[in-house]
Amino acid sequence: MSGSGEFAEFLPAYLAEVDELLASAQRDLLAVEDAVRKGQAQPRAVRELFRALHTLKGLSAMVDVEPIVSVAHWMEASLRLADQAGGRLPESSVEPLVEGLRAIELRVRQLGAGKTASPAPTALLERLEALGPQVLDAAPKRARPVKLDAEAAFASRLAPSEREQLEGGLTAGQRALRLDFVPSSERAAKGLNINTVRERVAKLADIVKVLPLSGAAAGGASLAFALLLITRAEDAALLDAVGGPPAMVRSLEAPEGAAEAPGDLAPAPPDGAALPAGAVLDEELDEPEVRRGGGLLRVEVSRLDEAMEWLAALVVNRSRLTRAVAALTQAGAPTRELTAILQENGRQLRDLRSAILRLRMVRVGDVLERLPLLVRGLRRATGKAVRLELEVGDAELDKAVADRLLPALVHLVRNAVDHALETPEERQAAGKSPEGLVHLSCHARASGQLELTLRDDGRGVDAKAVAKAANAPVPDSADALLDLLCRPGLSTRQEATRTSGRGMGMDIVRRIVVEQLGGELRMETRKGAGTTFTLSVPLTVTLMDAIVFECAGRRYAVAVGTVEELIDVAGVVRPAGADGLGLVERRGAAVPLVSLARLLDAGSSGDASAKGGGAKALIVRQRGDPVAFAVDRLLGQQEIVLRPLEDPLVRVPGVAGATDLGDGQPTLVLDLAALGAARMGRRKRASRAGEWVS
Amino acid sequence: MNVLHVLFKVDGTEYAMPAADVVQMESYTGATPVPGAPSHVAGLVQVRGRVIPVVDARTRFGLPAGTPSLDSRVVVGQLGERTVGLLVDSAREVLKLDPRTIQPPPPMVVEGAKGFVKAVAQVGPRLVMLIDFPRVVGEEAADVDGQR
Repeated sequence: MSGSGEFAEFLPAYLAEVDELLASAQRDLLAVEDAVRKGQAQPRAVRELFRALHTLKGLSAMVDVEPIVSVAHWMEASLRLADQAGGRLPESSVEPLVEGLRAIELRVRQLGAGKTASPAPTALLERLEALGPQVLDAAPKRARPVKLDAEAAFASRLAPSEREQLEGGLTAGQRALRLDFVPSSERAAKGLNINTVRERVAKLADIVKVLPLSGAAAGGASLAFALLLITRAEDAALLDAVGGPPAMVRSLEAPEGAAEAPGDLAPAPPDGAALPAGAVLDEELDEPEVRRGGGLLRVEVSRLDEAMEWLAALVVNRSRLTRAVAALTQAGAPTRELTAILQENGRQLRDLRSAILRLRMVRVGDVLERLPLLVRGLRRATGKAVRLELEVGDAELDKAVADRLLPALVHLVRNAVDHALETPEERQAAGKSPEGLVHLSCHARASGQLELTLRDDGRGVDAKAVAKAANAPVPDSADALLDLLCRPGLSTRQEATRTSGRGMGMDIVRRIVVEQLGGELRMETRKGAGTTFTLSVPLTVTLMDAIVFECAGRRYAVAVGTVEELIDVAGVVRPAGADGLGLVERRGAAVPLVSLARLLDAGSSGDASAKGGGAKALIVRQRGDPVAFAVDRLLGQQEIVLRPLEDPLVRVPGVAGATDLGDGQPTLVLDLAALGAARMGRRKRASRAGEWVS
Repeated sequence: MNVLHVLFKVDGTEYAMPAADVVQMESYTGATPVPGAPSHVAGLVQVRGRVIPVVDARTRFGLPAGTPSLDSRVVVGQLGERTVGLLVDSAREVLKLDPRTIQPPPPMVVEGAKGFVKAVAQVGPRLVMLIDFPRVVGEEAADVDGQR
């Protein structure tokens, strides 16, 4: 019954996923083969191959295609050993692996053609099974045991296999290095960020791991990355790949005869470039994953955002051009052709913009791919009979919206099966079909919104029970009932008492739909007949990493990318007559210090505290020169959804938009450079004393 | 044909606007000020996930500033594509106005109200000012010169 019967509905999703995995596995196997011929280790490709087969095996087991599971299993087993051996495979292993992949591919095709996968050839399975011992034999013998000079902070973040990979590289005569990359806005402007650095370094070395570091790193920046590498490349080439100093290269090889215990032997790193213990920013950043398959290209969304930014710059430039041409025309110059070109240019920009926006769109159908599996699991867990109907058509949605929306939908579907649908017996007693229905449909509306409707034919929400659980009067409308359901905390009580009805996580659903995405959530319910949730969400949103801070009792956010540095304000010099502007020292140069509180207040007669306090400052480049904006307190860094302010009343320079930090109140997202330029210009004109050019 | 209107109070005077232009009413818990916005803009509020500007009716009408109370309401109005809130002292009533009772405002009112009142309606003994919502809201952008 392989790949048939109850799994038929998953087959298209399975085939699509497996196709991609096979394509990447083939590519990696070729790389491995190439390396094996040259007698080199190819740890990265081996690991990728191992992962691909591991996933393949899991997926195939889920849809119960036993022949593929068997073949993938034995391939995976030998690759696991090879991975642990630092990515080294014996030459004799390549052929069976190639055959194994071919066997899998053949069976995937059979499934795709609606046939049953033929049994796995016993001979092949035996050969694959025999690979394991061969791999072990080929593993490097540690004649010269190499120890890693990993500092304590590193040691805890290295997986054993990564450690072995580094050691394996050393044993194979390569160098194991730590290469530090320090991002900055100047570097970003030159196209040098952690992603491009990864690409550039990957050409010179095998990247074993990338660790983000925070705290004072080399060069005084607050964020840096340590790339752990195996390479034969020269230091100079590596340094060049990360944009030169303050980057640095350090060997990870422990000196001969060093003590075993890591940490004991960590030599004091030079010139304050220490990796502060516990300065861990985040989990390891996932390897950017670009797989090709079926004419699809996976691209990191941040790159699309980058393209969007450049486009914005083009648009701004075009409007300057338009003004210049208008001035020429007024002066009597012959500008007919210029004007025609400008118009053409405007159309092209619009087309480019919509093309870039389209790049970010994903099919709703693809986003919802997981739901059938979810329902299948719920069916098993609850013992209820459930039919999931998806009616999503070709609608598309911005990737960022889709990523946020999916958890809300998962919540709603889970609630529908868990709480709303009755057991088959209850349903039959109520005169319904024993199988419950969960129906999800969606369509794009003209207003740039996508409307999703999730309907079940369950028992409906019991308003009285909800009111009781929430300790509130019985709501008199569907809206009021939904408000009650979305009360945080309602869920736990319901969950604990197993009261029938919905509630689990509804506050989260509302938060995602309404607050994060700026959409709408509505509900209709009829006792005994079922419940319908309608979600309207915008097709696109703008996401950004932001630094959140407090100034004069209010919170503000600012895009991380625009902030060059965060500093403690100390030793401020206030030149006489400089209108309260101070100077702070930063790496030997004087940087003007502006009180943000004062700046924000400048419109209203300016009675902000003249001392212009503020313990921290954000350094931003304003027309090329650094300016420090003093704020009261830094609250952290987080990803926010930027809501542009479209109304002319509030479209002001220096305010990029608003966001919701979770309190239901809009928080301003500032563009400090523009704010400074707009507001300080005013002040300067208002009081000529304010010449503060440093 | 009687037209449904939303009634609200600002500094003791009753005003009205067509209910068809009103999206909803919200209680007021403060707004996020926007530096550089016109002075009659109280700030931003979030209404059902949308971020909208709120115009302070008192400031707009040149009245002394009030203190927000439990009665304070934001009348959220639709203006073509725009959604803008109007902060008023209270808003409790919705009623149908008979067009025959609606008169053009006396010249003195026109002058004093800067054109914000476009008509006056007689509701029993009460006089209700019909506001010109687009004009009250206005389009004035930032007070920062030369930037836009």
